[in-house]
Amino acid sequence: MSSVTLRKVVKRYGQVEVVHGIDLSVEEGEFVVLLGPSGCGKTTTLRMVAGLEDISAGQLEIAGRVVNDVAPKDRQIAMVFQNYALYPHMTVRQNMEFALKPQKLAANEVSARIAEAARILGLEPLLARKPAQLSGGQRQRVAMARAMVRTPKVFLFDEPLSNLDAKLRTQVRVEIAKLHRRLGTTVLYVTHDQVEAMTLADKIVIMKDGHIEQVGSPEEVFAKPRNLFVATFIGSPAMNLLPAKVAVVNGAPVLVANGFRLAAPPSIVSALDPGASVTLGIRPSDIRVDEAGDYEAVVEVDEYLGTEVLLNLRAGNHELVAQVPAAARPAPDRQSVRIGFDAARLHVFDTQSGEAIR
Amino acid sequence: MTPSLREKFLTYLLVIIILVVFMTPIYLILVSSLKPSPIMFSRPPRFIFTPTLQNYYDLFTMRPFHLQILNSLLVALGSTAFSLTIGTMAAYAVSRIKHRRINDVAFWILSMRMFPPIAVVVPYYIIFKTMGLLDTPLALIIVYSTFNIPLTVWLMKGFFDEVPEALEEAAQVDGHGVIATFFRVTLPLTAPGLAVSAVFCFIFSWNEFLFALMLTGSKSQTVTVAVMSFWSSDAVQWGRIMAGSFVILIPGVIFVLTCQRWLVKGLTMGSVKG
Repeated sequence: MSSVTLRKVVKRYGQVEVVHGIDLSVEEGEFVVLLGPSGCGKTTTLRMVAGLEDISAGQLEIAGRVVNDVAPKDRQIAMVFQNYALYPHMTVRQNMEFALKPQKLAANEVSARIAEAARILGLEPLLARKPAQLSGGQRQRVAMARAMVRTPKVFLFDEPLSNLDAKLRTQVRVEIAKLHRRLGTTVLYVTHDQVEAMTLADKIVIMKDGHIEQVGSPEEVFAKPRNLFVATFIGSPAMNLLPAKVAVVNGAPVLVANGFRLAAPPSIVSALDPGASVTLGIRPSDIRVDEAGDYEAVVEVDEYLGTEVLLNLRAGNHELVAQVPAAARPAPDRQSVRIGFDAARLHVFDTQSGEAIR
Repeated sequence: MTPSLREKFLTYLLVIIILVVFMTPIYLILVSSLKPSPIMFSRPPRFIFTPTLQNYYDLFTMRPFHLQILNSLLVALGSTAFSLTIGTMAAYAVSRIKHRRINDVAFWILSMRMFPPIAVVVPYYIIFKTMGLLDTPLALIIVYSTFNIPLTVWLMKGFFDEVPEALEEAAQVDGHGVIATFFRVTLPLTAPGLAVSAVFCFIFSWNEFLFALMLTGSKSQTVTVAVMSFWSSDAVQWGRIMAGSFVILIPGVIFVLTCQRWLVKGLTMGSVKG
């Protein structure tokens, strides 16, 4: 069993608390991504799991064993660092051998594991080279191979792709996904890149200011964000937000947002208080642009992205971004379009608390 | 960018000037040591003469110069080894400990190096006399180390600061303890620093004169003091002094050349992206 469990884990530096009692459970074989902006405590959390930072309060378990006071070397983990952290005075082979040394394996077992890792990650021609003679992508693959040969209980990745260029990032991302599928090892992965999180994760943990904002599958956090922070952090382009009031028309609650009168999503009708201030969230891809739309919007800028177009619209006081297929792009001389919204796809948040109304 | 002819010329000219400035004294020492005494100070100076090894012969027959060389080697290598061992560990601590007063500690260590040696000669003399260490190589090893350790700490601190902590963390996560990490990862990456420190410690200990003069007698005399003994109130035996001086140069040159291959920079290149 190689699960990871955090119970009320706190991290303090002197008087400053940076992680505020988080609870998290990573099941065996699960790929969990800690996602959040800079300074949200995600890397600190990962480093606490690795044993590179002390835990100020709370309890950390790896594979059912409390490891708060266990040295990193005894936690049976492997970590891939943001800046690779390859030993520069050793060749690729020696880097992997050094990682295996504490396990005191037979020489043929060491060779076999290195050969296997090198084969999987395409490092066979590079085994005799030193890190300085490798490209960024190759170094990252060596870092992964070094972690892999140890057959750890848990893999930890600390923003492993952030130093790679965009093309290489996509390539290595796929390699990480393949590697996880092949090995089935539990993975805890830190990133600030939502694309990485959405594509790799079984479960995303969204963090902000040392708190966990939401834990869920990529589909869940995208479709049912728990609060305004998650709603705007996940999704690109970001969700459109409109201040609105709850009104009652013909006995049914309606969301009135300066010029828009939108039917409330049927699932939350009972939870809406008449007169309450709410914030409406509309994903750019959920805005319909067609002649049957209820409202008129002026096209200020349209951004062509190949398969789709981003329309920067002004409708009354509201500035909105709509994402439409390239085929539906309005004619260049067209000044305005008709837009509509699907009530079932609206997100409604309590303006005061920022929490989603469910 | 390839240098232009003019830049090349200026570079070579500068190298030649530096070589002339630094090599002339060595040339004069060598030539004087090979000159027979009667023509040592002839005017105009004689550049063509039949060289003689008489001064070198006298050096090793009139005095136990070979033993004095051994004394010097023992003291210099002993102090270098001791200073590198203690200094490196202290430097690692100063580099890695995160405490707001750690820089004060580092400066306090450096301040030892600033102390004027002459001020501590008499206290050292009394201490070593009491301890029965006068005229022993150990006395000189201890004294030289008090000057070499601060220097090593400061030099090595700079090199340790350059080694990314991520490398040590990686080694720890890979299952290695603190000591294995230090010796297998951190220390090899500071090899240039060790080489520089070793060269400085060795040269200081090898060349030191004041403490060697005050704290040693006939048993543990080092080469610097031995050479000076050819300078007496009756006569200055220039030929032998020059021969001794030239012999003294040789171990230093060998030591520096041995360390030179470690003085390669950029060993940490490519380890972490940055």
